[in-house]
Amino acid sequence: MARIGITTTVPSEIIFAAGSVPVDLNNIFITDINRSAYFEQAEVDGFPRPLCGWIKGMYSACLDHKISEVIAVTQGDCSNTHVLMEIYRMRGVKTVAFNFPYGRDPAMMKRSIELLREYFGVDEPAVEAMRVRLNRVRAKLGVIDRMTWRDGVVTGFENHLLLVSSSDFESDPDTFEVKLDRFIIEAGQREPMEQSVRLGLIGIPPILDGLYPYIEEHGARVVYNEVQRQFTMPFGGETLAEQYLKYTYPYDIGPRIDDINEQISTRSIDGIIHYVQSFCHRQMEDMIFRERIDVPILTIEGDSPRPVDARARIRLESFIRMITRRKGAVA
Amino acid sequence: MSVVAIPTLGVDAGSREVKLAVSDGREVVFKASMDTIKFYIELKSDGADLDINKLNALGHAPKYERLVSTGYGRNNVKIEGGVSIPEIDAHVSGALFQTGLTDFTLVDLGGQDTKVVSVKGGMVDDFVMNDKCAAGSGRYLENIAHALDVSLSRLGDCHDDPAPLSNMCATFGESEVIELVSEGVEVEKILAGANRSVVLRLLPMVVKFRPKVIVATGGVAKNRAIREMLAEETGVTVIVPGDPQLNGAIGCCLS
Repeated sequence: MARIGITTTVPSEIIFAAGSVPVDLNNIFITDINRSAYFEQAEVDGFPRPLCGWIKGMYSACLDHKISEVIAVTQGDCSNTHVLMEIYRMRGVKTVAFNFPYGRDPAMMKRSIELLREYFGVDEPAVEAMRVRLNRVRAKLGVIDRMTWRDGVVTGFENHLLLVSSSDFESDPDTFEVKLDRFIIEAGQREPMEQSVRLGLIGIPPILDGLYPYIEEHGARVVYNEVQRQFTMPFGGETLAEQYLKYTYPYDIGPRIDDINEQISTRSIDGIIHYVQSFCHRQMEDMIFRERIDVPILTIEGDSPRPVDARARIRLESFIRMITRRKGAVA
Repeated sequence: MSVVAIPTLGVDAGSREVKLAVSDGREVVFKASMDTIKFYIELKSDGADLDINKLNALGHAPKYERLVSTGYGRNNVKIEGGVSIPEIDAHVSGALFQTGLTDFTLVDLGGQDTKVVSVKGGMVDDFVMNDKCAAGSGRYLENIAHALDVSLSRLGDCHDDPAPLSNMCATFGESEVIELVSEGVEVEKILAGANRSVVLRLLPMVVKFRPKVIVATGGVAKNRAIREMLAEETGVTVIVPGDPQLNGAIGCCLS
């Protein structure tokens, strides 16, 4: 069974329908015991120091895990990924292109999907059957998300870890679904958590260790992981093309902000933590978020896989304290 | 602001200096500061709780019954018998006490950190801190002054005709300075350029709060040129309390 590396969420339905399995290179990097070594190895091999840590990690993880084929997202992701693909090819890794059309053009999306389907040699009904299958698993992630913000029995970190895994379903949707079923039963028996400050985490999944527990120790908890939730395709769709057009992350920021503001209201969120990756173009999005989101925003920057540092801790603590006081003043 | 009338020691364990202040619960009655490295060496920090009472610098301090600390140090070492508060709270509390104002934009210019806090009605309304880089901080200015072999007070006098300096990196700032010297640029202009680069780094953080009055604290607030440039760029008055560098410790001992 061929393992196909992915650098961001792509229509994994096609990969599974072809009898192959997707492997999210971000996930195998960050969950590997050697993640720091992966990061350092990329720099030794020549990646510039001022460059996104996820790119470095994915580079080394792909080679170390002997992934020989990667889907290259050439629209809807970053330019760093484009060159990463060139470097993969130089290292003998086969790459295939996939585009998220910037203007959300349905015909172009349909064509993108067709090209990927043709590359993997699978027909439409097989892909559609797989879409129905995977959406059943995604629905369970939706249950876990509600158990996070509505019932308060799932931690922000558990929510992050399970939702982020829907990019590749841990390469095995059946086993992943069993894991989710068990988790739902176990978490359903817990007492609700007591933290009064409700936070949302927006931006790319953080590379830092210990962010969520630190927030919980200081009287707040994350009830919304924006991009991780998007990975679960919460808006569904009638067709594969429609589903991937409703997915907010690869396109312009407008629908992303609408989604964030709607969730701030639905989940009664008191403040937003905007996680930004050092040297990532998405850092600029901070300007737009600060103009168009009305709750307080704290921006936290991460570089490499390591524990949350003193600087970030001071900021988080002060931010939570500020919101706690504001809530006290209102109440 | 309510003041608890219990004699209190405030400790602001900063990146460059540890600042100490004792209050009788109403007024500050003792102030001292010492080098951060010496502080930990003197107290023989082994990761366990530090007994601050052993500190020589506190030998002549009046008696205190409680201890409140802030700063980086408190996250790494606990001070015996003490409580700790976040830095933003300590600095706002110090500025409220030292200025008597309740609505202002606090600009704390520390050794490695810059904090800008919007204070409304005596409460923290919002805040930003500098990104992960010491460019534009006190350490940057120290490096520049050291490279040019001038005192910090002379640096603070240099305001006019600033030489263009990038504010990209505290370390490479030094080599930039050397290049300007080799090109024959006057030292005063280079120093003014360093001051200006700090202000340019600070400005985006300050203007977002649309300040009406700025309270500047931290060691860099002693730099006259930076205060003046900040006032010129923002068009608002910049107030520096009596003890800008001890502001966090004062905030602690009156919290």
